[in-house]
Amino acid sequence: MSKEETTLGSIHISPNAVATIAYHATLRSYGVVGLASRNLASGLAQTITKDPNRGISVRYDEDKIDIDIYIIVQYGTRITSVATSVANIVQFNVEKALGVRVNSIDVHVAGLRVGDDE
Amino acid sequence: MSDELAVARAKRVAEMKALPFDGQAYKRLVEAGLIWLRTNQEAVNALNVFPVPDGDTGTNMVLTMQSAYDEIAELGHHKVGDMAAAVSQGALMGARGNSGVILSQIWRGVARGLEDEEVLTGTNLARAFANARDTAYRGVVRPVEGTILTVCKDIATAAEAAREETDCPIEILEKLVAAADISVEHTPELLPVLKDAGVVDSGGMGLYLILEGMIRYIYGEPLDTPTLSVQPMAALEMEKAMHAVEEGQDFEVVVDFYPHDELELKPFYDALEEMGTSIQIGEGDGMYRMHIHVPLENRYLPIDYIMDLGTVTNVAMENLVAQMGELNKDTDYDRLVLHNIDPGEIAIVTVSPGPGISRIFASLGVAAIVEGGQTMNPSTKELLAAFENLPTDKVIILPNNKNIILAAQAARDVTVKEVYVVPSRNIPQGLAAMLMHNPSGDLATVAKRMIKNLDTVRTGEVTTATRTVEIDGVKVKTGEVIALLDGKLVLAAETVEEACLSLLEKADMDEYELVTLYVGGDYSRKEANRVGDLIQEKYPDHEIEMLDGGQPHYQLILSIE
Repeated sequence: MSKEETTLGSIHISPNAVATIAYHATLRSYGVVGLASRNLASGLAQTITKDPNRGISVRYDEDKIDIDIYIIVQYGTRITSVATSVANIVQFNVEKALGVRVNSIDVHVAGLRVGDDE
Repeated sequence: MSDELAVARAKRVAEMKALPFDGQAYKRLVEAGLIWLRTNQEAVNALNVFPVPDGDTGTNMVLTMQSAYDEIAELGHHKVGDMAAAVSQGALMGARGNSGVILSQIWRGVARGLEDEEVLTGTNLARAFANARDTAYRGVVRPVEGTILTVCKDIATAAEAAREETDCPIEILEKLVAAADISVEHTPELLPVLKDAGVVDSGGMGLYLILEGMIRYIYGEPLDTPTLSVQPMAALEMEKAMHAVEEGQDFEVVVDFYPHDELELKPFYDALEEMGTSIQIGEGDGMYRMHIHVPLENRYLPIDYIMDLGTVTNVAMENLVAQMGELNKDTDYDRLVLHNIDPGEIAIVTVSPGPGISRIFASLGVAAIVEGGQTMNPSTKELLAAFENLPTDKVIILPNNKNIILAAQAARDVTVKEVYVVPSRNIPQGLAAMLMHNPSGDLATVAKRMIKNLDTVRTGEVTTATRTVEIDGVKVKTGEVIALLDGKLVLAAETVEEACLSLLEKADMDEYELVTLYVGGDYSRKEANRVGDLIQEKYPDHEIEMLDGGQPHYQLILSIE
């Protein structure tokens, strides 16, 4: 739990809130067609998830935040470039909204979506 | 002049129309788009709203286009479909940043629309852009309107509408450029962040410039000089536009005039381009101001030319070569020579409240200076901007003010560069730290030595109290002169000299040898000299040095070491 002290008390920001910000930023990011369910790697069905907590994991280490994002990318885009953009945009949005430092963002490309006409 | 130009253009367009629009023609269009985008690259970069995402849109798009062109530069394909496919492949491989990825998707859509086509026609061009729009939009879950996506959509719509009137690809391209222009101008209406920042979308602008480059190529217009721009007259700051006098820019000519008829900018600009460079045109209340740099022999040409167009109200002509010499002499303040950082060296970023202090820091080898101080704390963003573009990833920040240390630490935390903050709480500490600087040393070691040196110097500050208060047992009335030693209020006095002398009494002068006085911007040098003399009289064994600090609010800053 990220915590900040004020004169009246403290402010807690739950990982869930951070995940929601990251989720929206990711979906606006070009080339990303969805978030993948996090336990994809363990062999569960490959689904595009609508729940921010499934595709994004947020961990706190004291006042630093580490974020993992599992994305599905549009086939035909330059994947490294898309992933870099996602990391940049998420970092920017989280830091702007919360004023808390993001320590690391790991972007996992969990799959590609091949368009209907490809 | 304008008629001749129009005739020449019409002739060129007719020639282009007569040629088949095959793969080779497509290649030249792409090349023109790339060159024109590159010419205007900095203008696109300047449109950036965010400090972080997609750093430099212009640069990213140029690199993407460059990769696309490299792919086709040597190709001899005659089928436009094959060439388009190669462009798409090249753009994909070279896509950089968000805007670059979207651009590569646009080329991909275009390529699919032109698949198997021999030559470019109005029909397949419209289909290509419809495809580009669909492909581009497919790449994102939540498209943000007011971006390059919107511009692409508007282009596709315009192409579809234009196809009903004509099947000539050139005429359709003309319509596309016009639609892109309007669409770009419209982006701030759709995206509030753009409106707040007072800019149009950079990616959309980049796409527009690529298409405009193509049409300029068809018109036979030059691609290597930035486009004309009409600015509000107040924005034309001539002096600042000059950095160096280049060849063929001996004279600066500025003409104010009221045109007889509505001024047609395009031919006007083209005519001026024949005479000189650095052309700027400003407009206000029906009056125009033209600014141009011309070689010696051409210095009367623009005036004669404008006399024919309207009533000239004012002419100003200046010899730039002579003027530059003077400027360089007068404005030492504006022409700080900062230390040029070699890649891998340690760069020092410092905060300075006044021009004199900036100069002292510059002479000690800092790489970047951010203006700010007691009442004007620079933001984290400003600090970041100061060092983000330096060609090194080793940075040390000297905040020189206790209120700026936090911002400096925040800058350290958000950048990818390796940054140390040496928490100097005032100017003398910052300067003391600078003495330990070694650009080629080990970053951590240098920072450590700088921090260690912070406390070798004691700092006195003399200023006028702005309110009545009692701090640390010292009673102060508004308007009294107060003195601070190492940031702590130690006394109040009637005059600056009294404050200075009493301050030094409290500073264990026996342990120090040198007192440096930095004279504030509003404090007279004569007064300062008198204070200096009084100090020397009282401490004959100490060395007294006096420097112009130029800092606001503080009459004197004293460094005791």
